[in-house]
Amino acid sequence: MSKVRFLFALWASKLSIPVMKLTGHNATNYPGQIAINICPDFLKYIGKPEHIISVTGTNGKTTVNNMIVDMFEASGKKILSNRAGSNTRTGITTALIKGANLSGKAKFDTAVFETDERSALRIFPFVKPEYILITNLFRDSIMRNGHPEFISSILTKNIPATSKLILNGDDLISCLTAPDNKRVYFGIDKLDTDLTECINLINDIRICPKCQGKLEYDYLRYHHIGRAHCVDCGFSSPEYDYHGFNIDHEGHTVTIADKNGSGVYEIVNDSIFNIYNMVSIVALFREMGYSHDQLAEYMKKAKVVESRYKLVEENGVKIITQLAKEKNALAISRAFDYVRELPGEKTVMLMMNCLYDEQHWSENTCWMYDCDFEFLNDDLVKEIVVSGPRARDYRLRLLFAGVDDSKIKVCMDELDGARTISLIKGGSVCVFHGVDSFDITQEVRKVLVERAGKLS
Amino acid sequence: MKVEVLFPEVCNLYGDLMNVEYLKRSAGGFDVIETSLKSEPYFASNDDVSLIYMGTMTESAQELVLKALRPYKERIESLIDAGKIFLITGNALEIFGEYIENEDGSRIECLGIFKTHAVRKMLERYNSLYVGKFAEDMDIVGFKSQFTHSYGEFDELFKTVRGDGLNPDTKSEGIKKNNFFATYIIGPILVLNPPFTVFLLRLMGLENKTAAYEEAAMDVYNHRLEEFMQPTRGLTY
Repeated sequence: MSKVRFLFALWASKLSIPVMKLTGHNATNYPGQIAINICPDFLKYIGKPEHIISVTGTNGKTTVNNMIVDMFEASGKKILSNRAGSNTRTGITTALIKGANLSGKAKFDTAVFETDERSALRIFPFVKPEYILITNLFRDSIMRNGHPEFISSILTKNIPATSKLILNGDDLISCLTAPDNKRVYFGIDKLDTDLTECINLINDIRICPKCQGKLEYDYLRYHHIGRAHCVDCGFSSPEYDYHGFNIDHEGHTVTIADKNGSGVYEIVNDSIFNIYNMVSIVALFREMGYSHDQLAEYMKKAKVVESRYKLVEENGVKIITQLAKEKNALAISRAFDYVRELPGEKTVMLMMNCLYDEQHWSENTCWMYDCDFEFLNDDLVKEIVVSGPRARDYRLRLLFAGVDDSKIKVCMDELDGARTISLIKGGSVCVFHGVDSFDITQEVRKVLVERAGKLS
Repeated sequence: MKVEVLFPEVCNLYGDLMNVEYLKRSAGGFDVIETSLKSEPYFASNDDVSLIYMGTMTESAQELVLKALRPYKERIESLIDAGKIFLITGNALEIFGEYIENEDGSRIECLGIFKTHAVRKMLERYNSLYVGKFAEDMDIVGFKSQFTHSYGEFDELFKTVRGDGLNPDTKSEGIKKNNFFATYIIGPILVLNPPFTVFLLRLMGLENKTAAYEEAAMDVYNHRLEEFMQPTRGLTY
């Protein structure tokens, strides 16, 4: 009976794909939902590729997942992925449906799945990855994820015992996840810009996880990312198996090494977050036996998804649109920090409102007081336009951060904001948007490009 | 003037610590004493602290905090009876109840100062907007996001207008005894409620102070209150 129900679910969901495409839908999630509705154990029965790689974590998993897929494709290998769709149970189920024949047997031998960390408990019992790459574990949505210790506990309880972990050695929360699994650590060597005291509002590892003694950082990059040791019990961060160093921002290269060799890689995007992504990917591929020379070539084909970061230069004005994932204090802090480091004068537009929440409830704005708005209190930031439903909250938070009220303009409508914000020739305008505001961001960018083109 | 913040190294989720910073800026400054898990609380042997604050924490941190506070249970009770001001936000409230019950039925014994207990459901996170009344006529707005609800006998801090109280079956939110104020509302409750900030400042003896960034804070407060009171606005996520 189970087999009959499974096949019926498979065929019904497969049939839904062309139907959905004919009606203008992407069919990246719903077919999986149909299959699970018909056969709740569908994920147990559907054929899986022999080699499965899962990419999870709080930030960067989409970028890392897509870069891995790009690199496999550059190597000439055809793989299955959920790149185009959802990273939850239904999204991964949809990808497996597309990657199976009519009897449910897998047509691919390798799959790369971006996996929502909160959904691990519904995915990993049935989909058992050979490798699980955890980019990092940070605070995320207060409503959905609570805190990173909770997410780490979900992963620890559900990661299959056979999976080998690729972990960020500079992130003690990741390092403490699923402690019984085989693992390798990646990281980035000490940088000139590193600190020893945290300047961010969020630091989720302030005490020793073993004895609760004072944790001292040998170097601290941001939040809890860095190398630490306990002054009381001697606990310390793990040694790296794969490490990045010699970051050359002018030459756009980084060297990545392990005990068997090293390679010089072209930097895809020079934010430290993306260099971590690169090192993690090299660690994964090296574990699979690829050479540094091969990987350096494949890496050239890997692209950071354009919708996350886009730079357009028009008539001497740099127009930057940067995804600052709504309600994610840490991701937004990182985005603010990146823009703060940009040379020259800049104006800033904040429009990372959670539009979905606004339709149904109201955005929980507590994240703003975990987020480093203080980074925008900078002499080179000449003006900040706040837009959308939470514009008033942004203004109050900016005042709290010490930004002078005269620098802040409240424009409830995002396009009004784009028409209002000052453009500085030789400078930048930085627009922070959320996932919900992708569409309006395209229009905002268009207005800014048009205005910049008319500057004399 | 001194304000003691208990265990900021772990009681720091959801922007809660900004409450003390906001209070400090509104007061025009005071000394902040940060007490760590491995040190004796300042209140244990000093009477000159004006307000004691503790914010939201992880579940494992709750156990560390309980271990740190257990030796001072009687001192805390006597301070509450004497009218010392406590501001307790999020799941820090549970520390002062009798126990926290896990999903497997096991219990974590708490300080037992109030006759309440919390029930934890880690895979059923509760999210809600909140509107309530403090002292009959002061509107309170805020957010709740938690893995627990609390039950038992207690005197309410806020009377709920929209949303739930300490659990979905009650409209009584928070615990109040003399000047002990504990609420499940998380995050920057003082920033979001300038009238409540001013109330606390007056209780601390600062009669003529206003809330910091008053115009902007009141604009946000009034708008949020209006928004949360819209009948069509969903309350529970």
